Amino acid sequence: MLEWMVWTPPTALVFAGLVLLLTGMAVWGRLSPPVARRGFLRIETDRGDRLYIGLISAAVVLAGWIALTDLSMWLALGCALLVALVIGIWG
Amino acid sequence: MTSQLAEDAGAETSPREEARGRQADLKPKNNRAWFLVLPVVVSVAFTAVIPLMTVVNFSVQDIFTPTDRIFVGLDWFRSISRDPEVRAAFLRTLLFSAQVLLVEIPLGVAIAVCMPRRGVSVSVALVVVALPLLIPWNVVGTIWQIFARGDIGLGGWTINNVLGIGFNYTLDSTDAWITVLLMDVWHWTPLVALLAYAGLRSIPDPYFQAAQIDAASAWATFRHIQLPRLRGVLTIAVLLRFMDSFMIYTEPFVVTGGGPGNATSFLSILLSKIAVGQFDLGPAGAFSLLYFLIVQIISYVFFTVLTRSGR
Repeated sequence: MLEWMVWTPPTALVFAGLVLLLTGMAVWGRLSPPVARRGFLRIETDRGDRLYIGLISAAVVLAGWIALTDLSMWLALGCALLVALVIGIWG
Repeated sequence: MTSQLAEDAGAETSPREEARGRQADLKPKNNRAWFLVLPVVVSVAFTAVIPLMTVVNFSVQDIFTPTDRIFVGLDWFRSISRDPEVRAAFLRTLLFSAQVLLVEIPLGVAIAVCMPRRGVSVSVALVVVALPLLIPWNVVGTIWQIFARGDIGLGGWTINNVLGIGFNYTLDSTDAWITVLLMDVWHWTPLVALLAYAGLRSIPDPYFQAAQIDAASAWATFRHIQLPRLRGVLTIAVLLRFMDSFMIYTEPFVVTGGGPGNATSFLSILLSKIAVGQFDLGPAGAFSLLYFLIVQIISYVFFTVLTRSGR
């Protein structure tokens, strides 16, 4: 039934991870509602906003990396996760 | 003694009322209304989320048939993001959007300021200004394709034979660019004008009366009363016009088809050439995702500016 979507294991893993992440955030939000605050991004964000900004920034890091350098993409993934983490905690 | 009693009574009722209030707060809310959102969730899943997931799957594979396909990792992203043609199209699209904004926003505001404020002429002006917005994209393209032609088009013929300037949008890349830009200005400036007009109409009269008492000039009134009050609608106008011009496809496709050469081949035209023309689903998938990322970032920045500027 899903053959037309031409799934591959890596993309399936990525989307499963995203679903888990969103479910986790929903459960966390239910247990302790998010509080908006201001970090180094200078705009009021709650943890969901920071997750979104972090994921988009991580995607920018990956896209920029692949466009500009031939260095290992694992290193890029590390940098991207670091950026997402920094934004998530102090953003 | 009586006052003591009264105090006691007061002390007794107030905690009880407080508790009742607290109970009302703690009463579990009926959240079943959320199920009403379900149709939207389902339709968005079918029209946006699932197709997008498929595009992600396309972007990491070389697909010959649904069963005959090879996993290539991030190769398509690498080749697309380094393709000189794609980079040129990106810069071209960015330049086009910048020019669209530079022309349409001031022009739209100027039209709105000049539009009548009361009387029958208001409806007439609104209809005339809104007319281009009612025309479908491909019809706008066809209108301009004929209008700008040197032999049978009124605009093209006038420029060539009356003004004596050589103008041919099928051969000259500058002429083609100007034609597409003018077409977008003609088609979409009315949107900016209508938004700005709505913004201007919402300014209360006392502001203008105060300006009159201070003997403010028309420019001072515009600069210090009208323009600041237009901030909200202009942010919306800039956002809408930027996104629309950044994703423009139909009109240049009908008028120039991306030519002459590559002069007007914007990102969307190049993308559709790869995806539909050459049927290269892998590179096209990677291209769309990079395109989507750019659009996503710009929209989010605008959205944040729009909704949080007051805070």
